[in-house]
Amino acid sequence: MTTTQFPKRRGRSTLMAVALAITLGGTMLTTATMPSFAQQMTDVGTPRAETLIVDMLNARVGNPTNMNMYQQGVTINQGYHQMAGALLYDIDTAKGSQIPDLAAEMPVANADFTVFKVALRQGLTWSDGQPFSADDVVFTDQMIRNTPALSYSSAYAAQIASVTKVDDNTVEITTTKPTPRLAIVLGSVIYGNPFHVVPKHVWEKEDAATFTNFPPVTISAYKYKDSDPNGTWFLWEKREDWQNSDVGQIVGEPAAKYVLFRSYGTEERRVLAMAANDIDILTDISPESLDILRSQNPKIHAWFNDFPYANLDDPCERGMHFNTSKAPYDDAKTRWALALAINAEQASIATFSGMLRASPIAIPPTTVLMDTYHKPMAQWLAEFTLEDGYKPFDPDYAVRLGERLRSEGAAGIPEDPEALRNLLGVGWWKHDPEEATKLLKAAGFTNDGGPWLKPDGTPFTINILAPADFEVESQRLAFAVANEWTQFGVPTQVQQMQAGAFFTAENTGDYEVGSYWGSSCAITPDLFVRMEGWHKDYVRDNGTPASSNQGRYVDDELSALIDKLRAIPADDPQIVPLGTDILKELVQGLPVIEMFGTSKFVPVNETYWTNYPSAENYYEGPWWWWSNFKFIAAKLKPAAAQ
Amino acid sequence: MNLLRYIAGRLVVYILVVIFALTVLFFVPRLGPTDPVEAMLAKVASQGAYMDAAQVDALRQSLADTFGLDGSLWDQYGAFIKRIVLTADFGPSLSMYPTPVMELIRNALPWTFGLLLTSTLIAWVLGNFVGLLSGWKPNSTSSRVMEGIAICLYPIPYYILALLLSILFSYIWKIFPLTTTIRGAPWSWELITSVVWNSFLPAMSIVIVVFGWWVISVKAQTTALKEEEFVRYARLKGLGDARILSRYVLPNAILPQITFLALQIGLMFNGSLITEILFDYPGLGLLIYTAVLQGDFNLLMGTISLSVIAVATATMIIDLIYPLLDPRIRHR
Repeated sequence: MTTTQFPKRRGRSTLMAVALAITLGGTMLTTATMPSFAQQMTDVGTPRAETLIVDMLNARVGNPTNMNMYQQGVTINQGYHQMAGALLYDIDTAKGSQIPDLAAEMPVANADFTVFKVALRQGLTWSDGQPFSADDVVFTDQMIRNTPALSYSSAYAAQIASVTKVDDNTVEITTTKPTPRLAIVLGSVIYGNPFHVVPKHVWEKEDAATFTNFPPVTISAYKYKDSDPNGTWFLWEKREDWQNSDVGQIVGEPAAKYVLFRSYGTEERRVLAMAANDIDILTDISPESLDILRSQNPKIHAWFNDFPYANLDDPCERGMHFNTSKAPYDDAKTRWALALAINAEQASIATFSGMLRASPIAIPPTTVLMDTYHKPMAQWLAEFTLEDGYKPFDPDYAVRLGERLRSEGAAGIPEDPEALRNLLGVGWWKHDPEEATKLLKAAGFTNDGGPWLKPDGTPFTINILAPADFEVESQRLAFAVANEWTQFGVPTQVQQMQAGAFFTAENTGDYEVGSYWGSSCAITPDLFVRMEGWHKDYVRDNGTPASSNQGRYVDDELSALIDKLRAIPADDPQIVPLGTDILKELVQGLPVIEMFGTSKFVPVNETYWTNYPSAENYYEGPWWWWSNFKFIAAKLKPAAAQ
Repeated sequence: MNLLRYIAGRLVVYILVVIFALTVLFFVPRLGPTDPVEAMLAKVASQGAYMDAAQVDALRQSLADTFGLDGSLWDQYGAFIKRIVLTADFGPSLSMYPTPVMELIRNALPWTFGLLLTSTLIAWVLGNFVGLLSGWKPNSTSSRVMEGIAICLYPIPYYILALLLSILFSYIWKIFPLTTTIRGAPWSWELITSVVWNSFLPAMSIVIVVFGWWVISVKAQTTALKEEEFVRYARLKGLGDARILSRYVLPNAILPQITFLALQIGLMFNGSLITEILFDYPGLGLLIYTAVLQGDFNLLMGTISLSVIAVATATMIIDLIYPLLDPRIRHR
């Protein structure tokens, strides 16, 4: 026995020794070959210390050699949109207002908002050295208008009647109808805008419907350098004449010589890449992934250094959206009953461990909108009553949730009630199953100790449509709410759908309850952009796609208020009072149970670059995938310099 | 004459299978819940562009016209079959409009084929070799070790294995890239080494998982064949192990493996979805995934049709060459 076992044991030991040697050898090899900070190169051949590496929002680009932004299936968030292009107007999300970009100032309108003088920024050149002028803007207008094969053509012509040259640096824009907000029509409010001025001297020789615009001639501070034919990375290089760009004039010289947009695929790989310092800026990840990153690499941080870590200023909020044309959700009492059946604290913890700011009104609780609407409306919300005289508002939601989170060991939760309301929201609706029961019965539902029956006598069950594998907050919120409604006594299930099917169902009205968000967005005190969509004129029959008002909500008073909002410009003193009235009307009818702002976990890595925007350094929001990212990128500083 | 009838029969079945599959492929996505126009509009809306409802309606109509989705289902079906049969053209991708579907497939195919063909063949040769030896000499130490490895690796969920390989070889020891980073001019040495380097880890993950299956399946065949009368007869004739294994056991054990290999090669046109997603590898699997998510009918039909035609063709070829490999079928 001994003689036969000995070789086996020796063999095992040898195997283990070899494995250890390989392991340690591998580690030593990687350590030994690690170049110094300044000498490190990226795998696309640029000095790492001079390269800002950014996660691509939609992962790999399927058609990487097409950068014609006017072709409908072309993706330009591989860096063109963020670093190389420029719009007439962009957005300053910290201030909540639009800013001129290619334009020199905001448009000047005539009395009825149909003719505008637009002064253009002077001294700009395209990346091939040709000057930017009014001719480019006029050509772009003509090109879009005269190329019906471009999907945007008809939509554009429906709004803009003409663009004519006044002089080299001024154009006159005429609209087809009074348009108090031209800067919204032709500039960015959220993410970007389809109107991109193109270089006339390049595009006039091409057919816009088939031109690939690759490599592109750019107007901002970066130009195209290189890319992967399979669309996994795109490298942009700082222009030598960056002074002649919008960024050069507005911010100054960007420090990064290169900006590399790249896809790492699944969230696991993106997290590994950031932990290994291979990427500087990540787009959305889950809170669990952020935990891993923070524990793996001390140079990584999110918007807040402590709870709730996430940025809470996303321009859309999450909630339960109803198709109000379908019974029993056509009755406001049903919708209110379901709101009061939700324990929001529980839903918040179940969704993102409480790292959410609650919102009882139809706009997100961003820093700007908290000051403009949420806090000023708190008094009205506290006094607001339902038809039966019941006051549904709970101003102490944040205080209770804060205490609960503290008791569960969450660090960095303030104790001051006002600080808690600032952090977690001004309040939400009471969790009151008794009042919910009363409202359901008033709406014709019955419950004789068994399951709830609808007014037509059939069992009341709910199916919530939710996104599958994208928009994780809405996905998780659907499950949290389903749990609350089931506990209340209404069996509720969640049906997850891929993006195409999910949005088809919303537009065609093929849903009863959905975890959507599209109509609950705003970023500036002027609520026009999405609130306008609630107008009754946009209601379509179920089965017919709706372009707005997918909840098929008809409210005459609300539509009248929207008509008033349409008629005034964004800087009119009536903007906030009218916006407030619209929000009150939406609270009363409650076509959507608004719940939480969007918490964006968007970490950055300070190994190579610093001065990222954050809660403590709030010069912009963390919108790496928006057109205004170029202004953020220009403010970053190399870590080595410090 | 019999042979001609056999070949003609197989050809007719082949054509019917392909036409039936194309028809199913045309109708099934259109009966699903995704409207590609609405999906595209949602993409536009999610990107914040402000358009009033009249503008969105105009865009909707324009997209429907562009995508060729106007007209009845039968009109669309007629145009589809005519286009496929006459020009092998699947039209433009709807989600990456106006890039033609065939261009996207042409770009992705070499990646998928290169990765899967190489890894499948390596796993097939290695697996069959090891399986044959362990079935023939089940008690030898080397057989036991190799079989043990195969049995241990086979049940590991692929996702876990691929992630583990990435963590080990791309994060802890930065030997292979974390994501596919191809560089170099077309057909340059830099490009070739870059492709091999980037494909190594995905290929290794496939070989490790598939290898186990081939070992187990051929070992079972070999063990059964070893006890067959014709093998005993060969042994009684005094033939050596090597000759019995190569002339008597291998030809019989390998037949079902060849059939399965042919089907595997046909299925390659599906891509390897999980591998491609996990390693961000630019193959057909990712294209199909994109097509399903975006309701891209044309891309979906292009990629799946290719797969259907490949599997049907591989099956037909196997049916046609089987008589050459197996005398029993030739005799029948």
